[in-house]
Amino acid sequence: MSDMTTSSSGWAPNANGARRRRTDKLATLLGMIAAGILVLVLTSILWTLLSRGVTGLSAAALMKPMGPPGSGGGLANAIIGSLIQTFLALLIATPLGLGCGIYLSEYGNRQNRFASCVRFVSDVLMSVPSILVGLFVYQILVAPFGHFSAFAGSVALAILAVPIIVRTTEDMLRLVPIAMREAGAALGATRWRVTLFLCLRSAKTGVLTGILLALARVSGETAPLLFTSLGNQNWSFSLNRPMASLPVTIYQYAGASYEDWVQLAWAGALLVTMGVLAINIAVRLSARRG
Amino acid sequence: MTLAPARQPDKVSVPETREKRSRADTAFQAIVGGCSLIVLIALGGLVLLMGVGGQEAFRTFGLGFTFRNVWNPVANDYGAWAPLFGTIVSTLIGVLIAMPLAFGTAFWLTAIAPPKVAAVVGTAVQLLAAVPSIIFGMWGFFTIVPFMARHVQPFMMHNFRHVPGINLLIHGAPFGTGLMTAGIVLAMMIAPFMTAVMRDVFSAMPGMLRESAYGLGATRWDVMWKVVVPWSRTGMIGATVLGMGRALGETMAVTFVIGNVTSVGWSLFAPRSTVASLIALQFPESPAGSLRLSSLLALGFILMLLSFASLSLARMLRKDRK
Amino acid sequence: MTETKPQVALAVRNLNFYYGQNHALHDISIDFPARKVTAMIGPSGCGKSTLLRIFNRMYDLYPGQRATGEVLFDGRNILETGLDLNILRARIGMVFQKPTPFPMSIYDNIAFGVRLHERLNKADMDARVQDVLTRVALWNEVRDRLNAPAAGLSGGQQQRLCIARSIATRPEVLLLDEPTSALDPISTARIEELLDELKEEFTIAIVTHNMQQAARCADQVAFFYMGRLIEVDTADRIFTNPRQQQTQDYITGRFG
Repeated sequence: MSDMTTSSSGWAPNANGARRRRTDKLATLLGMIAAGILVLVLTSILWTLLSRGVTGLSAAALMKPMGPPGSGGGLANAIIGSLIQTFLALLIATPLGLGCGIYLSEYGNRQNRFASCVRFVSDVLMSVPSILVGLFVYQILVAPFGHFSAFAGSVALAILAVPIIVRTTEDMLRLVPIAMREAGAALGATRWRVTLFLCLRSAKTGVLTGILLALARVSGETAPLLFTSLGNQNWSFSLNRPMASLPVTIYQYAGASYEDWVQLAWAGALLVTMGVLAINIAVRLSARRG
Repeated sequence: MTLAPARQPDKVSVPETREKRSRADTAFQAIVGGCSLIVLIALGGLVLLMGVGGQEAFRTFGLGFTFRNVWNPVANDYGAWAPLFGTIVSTLIGVLIAMPLAFGTAFWLTAIAPPKVAAVVGTAVQLLAAVPSIIFGMWGFFTIVPFMARHVQPFMMHNFRHVPGINLLIHGAPFGTGLMTAGIVLAMMIAPFMTAVMRDVFSAMPGMLRESAYGLGATRWDVMWKVVVPWSRTGMIGATVLGMGRALGETMAVTFVIGNVTSVGWSLFAPRSTVASLIALQFPESPAGSLRLSSLLALGFILMLLSFASLSLARMLRKDRK
Repeated sequence: MTETKPQVALAVRNLNFYYGQNHALHDISIDFPARKVTAMIGPSGCGKSTLLRIFNRMYDLYPGQRATGEVLFDGRNILETGLDLNILRARIGMVFQKPTPFPMSIYDNIAFGVRLHERLNKADMDARVQDVLTRVALWNEVRDRLNAPAAGLSGGQQQRLCIARSIATRPEVLLLDEPTSALDPISTARIEELLDELKEEFTIAIVTHNMQQAARCADQVAFFYMGRLIEVDTADRIFTNPRQQQTQDYITGRFG
């Protein structure tokens, strides 16, 4: 043990080590700055929204429909319009996305050309610029009928929601262990029963997450609604007529030169952002618990 | 069939239910297959209609439409070059800023930050990725634009006005709007998304590989730069390309801050326009059947091709890795 | 005695280790004789790998893991804070269960570790690479494709490359964590031969599940059970005449 008491020069750092430690420190610092910038941007956005939006967020803004500048209009019809269009979009997108996702996971093996084609197309749709979706729907649902409509807006939003639902549904179904399918089949259940009542049920949370994420993504979209549901100053519940929506109203009001309109735009922006972030946080919390 | 004699009592009922079952299975497959077909048709229709709608523009101006630098609704004379230029340059600026931001953040989150801090900051970054693009546009318009106009542009003018080369890039009145502002807002929009993808790629690296690098006495940065980065290079490029795809087609965030002038030039601080912002602004003013509308649809078609190309590239890289 | 090299490379004194609330190692004291092979055996989860990962402070990568006590190496307690981990890890190398070639060429895999600690010119680096590859008996197999990706080698070759990579930084101690568990018998035999040669120069600590391997390679064997060191002795004594009943039960295959 006497040998252990004296230390050799092996512990002395060499020049190379000092340089590497400096580089490491610098990289760490730069990384922290990068992360700091992103956090700062989020804070700045939230702060801007709160400081400018809260003052406009009165009961009147929430209860009254839009109106001409200076008339004390609100956002009520835009809020309801957004809810209707988003809900309808999910109503269209959910069955379609679920069906497509089920097809891809249950029948879409590597040999299936059609399936890999659909998978590719769904991927493309996920990243297609949303304004192009608006143009597309304009051409098939607005131009031929000669008028803008809430239904067209919903279809445009649905096209954006479908690929997200497809992707999560397929991924989640693939995570279901084969043993579960075999157990189901061994009981004599048919394939569709196994898929719907065993696989889909056990993948329920994941699939629901996908639908919620699609909802979050779609509820802030503006570009696809510009040429489809257009916007509407008045109350309208007809799917066959132009309908107001929060994002489009924000877009129209934010650039306006009337102070009360800009005020309402910020209030609307605050509402939309809080809604979208709330959905995201809820999804994350439930994912952590599940 | 060979089992049939042993199951004499069931002989009648079994084939019938089996028949029913397989019919139900077929119907089920047909339904979900039908859903897939609709998705397929949707995209096919998207590409097709964009091309068909833009046909007139391409017929009038030829394929050179893409590179004509003119957008003049009064003379009814259109070309795609100015908005295309704006799209490409603002996207490049955005990606160039977002790449180091995303890489640095992902590095810090995966290798440096204590787990609890990383969880909080990671969530913040993911929330930033979820903020709707119109909010980025408003935020950019009310915070970045004045900042650029009051501080950045005067500063650049003051210091670099006489430096050859750079003076061309910063030329122009300090509006605050323009390519640089659009690039910055785009960067803040796509960086969180790229961070998330890079983080996944980095943490997919086998822990033992990471440990063996540390085991040789490497610092965290050594491990990152010499082992993790080579290991995840294609994944990182994939993340960047996906971010680029988003920036290419972004409408709302850009429309607010780019200034919307259809022109081409060296200055990064001059107002320009992008394909998406031009469509958003001019579409409502374009009567059905007009050459202007057709030109906008042709622009949409070109944008479609660009985003398609970037996505195909990202997919190719992802396949490479597998 | 003072001028000769120390007889004990690593001296562990009253070592305790915790994974958060979980007390994983209890009061371990053991010496690792210099230039000898010490094998650590015991059932899964007994703490032998944990002990190995303390010696190069690998646990520092993970929050919530901590050690108390002393591990003396070259006159210092390596558990103390403020110790330069990069130097420690250069002096105490480690080879893992599965081969972990870096995503680069065979040559660069070796040069990676060397470049971290030394600045060599091309010729010296070439010589170093050839030297360590020769010593792990890999040189003749790879000399024509040094610039090919290391991932293209077979599992056994990759593991020898990893050993070469570890000894290229000229460590004093080599930690091996079940280095042959992912390899076929022939590759295993080659690595065991290699250990015999390497102990001329390095102090080797090897964790193994394979009793025969411990008997074949080790000078000293330590048996761990439930986070405690049950018995440490020469390989002969442990395998022929252990003092503890638990050791006897384990090596005769009654549990584990």
